[in-house]
Amino acid sequence: MSRSPARKVMLLGEIGVGKSSLAQRLMFNRFSGEYKPTIGVEVYRYEVPQAALSEPMTLILWDTDGNFGDAIFSHVYLKEAAAAVIVGDAMRPETLDSAVRLAQGFAEVLPGRPVYFILNKWDLVTDANEPVLPTAYKTRPVMKASAALGENVNEAFIEVAKAIHRRGH
Amino acid sequence: MAIEPPTNAEPVNAEPSAADLVEAGTFLAEREVYGLVWINRDLVVRAKFGPKADFVALDQPIADSVTPFIGAEPYILTFQDDPTLSLELPGVVIHTSAEHQGRYNLSLFWSARHQHYMLLIARASIDASLEIELLRNVRARLMAEKQTQAKSEQLARANRDLESFASIISHDLKAPMRALCHVADETLATLSAGNLDAACSQLEWMRAQSRRMSAMLSGLLQYSTIGRKVEAIETVDTLALVQAIRDSVSWQGQKVVTVHGVWPVIETLKSQLEVVLRNLVDNAIKHHDRDHAIISLTCDERPDHLKITVADDGPGIVPAHREAIFLPFRTLAAPGTTAPQDGIGLGLALVKRTLESVGGGIRLRSDPEQARGTTFEITWPRTIQS
Repeated sequence: MSRSPARKVMLLGEIGVGKSSLAQRLMFNRFSGEYKPTIGVEVYRYEVPQAALSEPMTLILWDTDGNFGDAIFSHVYLKEAAAAVIVGDAMRPETLDSAVRLAQGFAEVLPGRPVYFILNKWDLVTDANEPVLPTAYKTRPVMKASAALGENVNEAFIEVAKAIHRRGH
Repeated sequence: MAIEPPTNAEPVNAEPSAADLVEAGTFLAEREVYGLVWINRDLVVRAKFGPKADFVALDQPIADSVTPFIGAEPYILTFQDDPTLSLELPGVVIHTSAEHQGRYNLSLFWSARHQHYMLLIARASIDASLEIELLRNVRARLMAEKQTQAKSEQLARANRDLESFASIISHDLKAPMRALCHVADETLATLSAGNLDAACSQLEWMRAQSRRMSAMLSGLLQYSTIGRKVEAIETVDTLALVQAIRDSVSWQGQKVVTVHGVWPVIETLKSQLEVVLRNLVDNAIKHHDRDHAIISLTCDERPDHLKITVADDGPGIVPAHREAIFLPFRTLAAPGTTAPQDGIGLGLALVKRTLESVGGGIRLRSDPEQARGTTFEITWPRTIQS
């Protein structure tokens, strides 16, 4: 097959943290302020820019229903996933804690796969309300991003692609 | 061309012919009950039936048009060895452009008899617009409630912090500020009277107070940011760390710092551990009332934490002061006097807050009526709490 190697990336996180907004920003460079929860799973195909990697790669983003919680780890949706992007809402500290649980769950089911944290809505963070990050955030890559402004979104997923590439499969 | 259902169907226990089955299947596919795709053993699409399969490209690898299968090819190929396997993905929305293609239930099987895969594409019932909108509305309301609750809690916490800081600032910064204003007035009067020496002396005092206030503000900033900054966990040789602290105070001639116990190499927050130990040692030296002082640092490894004691042979701390010493800007009188010590009184406050931020703790043992000396016993967790 002549297609570039495709890698499955799970987009996990609590309801309303902005997983779909990040996917929509990455794929179509658009943002809607209207909140429409994802029901089930939505699948996107993202071609990693040629300049970012030494060889072509396609990321298949699985934008999941935040309502899955830990149940996602026993679901067929997770099969063959190469990496996980765990999204937290920088303005809702409780979502950062649940992101840690999701990261741990993913690492247990698929050990060795890259796991990245994205702190979404970082555009709303000021010195006065900067969140206190759970300590687990110190042990994995953390990207501060804004789907609303498009800040660091492409960069975050390119970093994930690089991590998958470094791992080799 | 639409195909009508057979009107002359036999009773249910009659064996349908192969033609009947094909006719029924085609009937269901054309009425968009499902789409059917045949895929060869190389995972290339060879045939498709029904409008629901329209988005699937003929003669192309199945994963090209059914993106959820991308990456799953190795698993799908194993079906040929074990036909009991299948891949069933319920409720999947496939995005190929700004608009998605709808929500499908996808079921893929290997037919050993036909040596082909069969993909069944069914419209996911959840796509019924009313049902999905209802789900979304319920979800949105729950989200709004959670956010309101979280905001309320956040606000309450922020108010408590604000009250605490307001109290500190009003009580501890306002007093020297008032004194500065007062002395400035005095200085003006002194200058008017032509007494330059006295005015210089007053200005010196004002400068010293300004520096002290500046130090207090810097300390306050440091205090307020504990636990808010992301620090890296690193491999820390605690023995090297504590020896460096010991060496850094060795210039103070007759103050001796000794190190005991087993100090392990751990994965932890180095700068926070150093803040705690250095402040405790500095505090012991600063508050000692004799020329000769011995401060001993001892580490005891426990399964989930390090128990570190910092003991001195100083004058001790009376029970009445045991809580106050951990408050910001509280300096106790120098031993044998009523005058406050040098410093801004943040050392032990920093220690306590740092320990709280990592999930550790501190205890104080001292009873000057019985014996000299103070022992601070800290617990430093091996795993830093979030």
